[in-house]
Amino acid sequence: MESQNAHPAAGYSSLKMQDAPASAVDGHSVTKRLQSELMQLMMSNVPGISAFPVSDSNLCQWTGTIAGPEGTPYEGLTYKISMTFPANYPYRAPVIRFVSPMWHPNVDMSGNICLDILKEKWSAIYNVQTILLSLQSLLGEPNNASPLNAQAADQWDNNKAEYKKSLMAHYKDIEELADE
Amino acid sequence: MKVTIDKWIGVSTWHWNHAQDEVCGICRVAFDGTCPTCKYPGDDCPLIIGECKHAFHMHCLLKWLTTESSKGLCPMCRRRFKTATE
Ligand SMILES: [Zn+2]
Ligand SMILES: [Zn+2]
Ligand SMILES: [Zn+2]
Repeated sequence: MESQNAHPAAGYSSLKMQDAPASAVDGHSVTKRLQSELMQLMMSNVPGISAFPVSDSNLCQWTGTIAGPEGTPYEGLTYKISMTFPANYPYRAPVIRFVSPMWHPNVDMSGNICLDILKEKWSAIYNVQTILLSLQSLLGEPNNASPLNAQAADQWDNNKAEYKKSLMAHYKDIEELADE
Repeated sequence: MKVTIDKWIGVSTWHWNHAQDEVCGICRVAFDGTCPTCKYPGDDCPLIIGECKHAFHMHCLLKWLTTESSKGLCPMCRRRFKTATE
């Protein structure tokens, strides 16, 4: 069937390009989008990742966990991250940070992450789940070409035993982390 | 038996021809629903389909294309977004 049937606004259906909500900062649509993501995350229940809003009152601040992938130095460890969603999410990427101290070539000592899909390669079709899965795979596949932590990059390439040692020296169990 | 109709109310359904049960990758709402800024689905909130065959609510795509990070690219395949001409 074609798309032309009448609906309650049929009288106002002339479309003006400039009416497109290009500049509107619509907090309501962010909330809606994040609610649907939360539902989807809870229903799909992907092993190794979790994320949920910090409080009911502010849906733009989430906390998440990532389990280290098997076969990597991070196996068996769980890391806590924070996610802050801008008012124009998903048109702009959320700000993601490791709350757990992290030893990784692409993460600095404050937990800031260098990952292209969170910066210049961001796309509006990405979501919490794809971000968490990308971060998880980043743990096992660092990009050593442009490291934030040069020592970690060096250890990864040349001395995996030292790498694991540094990693464990920095690691904090998720239960020991003070709530932010 | 003879029946006289005093009054009738027409009800119809519609959906876009494009992939009825798919969702818009940007807002994650079904194509038959509206983008988050519109109230009524249908002509007021049309779909837009690119040469790459990727479809979105037009409002969602336009909003994406105005952002700096889009660089004019399709959010799905990162090819330059050009509206498909039929
Ligand atoms: Zn949409
Ligand atoms: Zn719309
Ligand atoms: Zn495309």
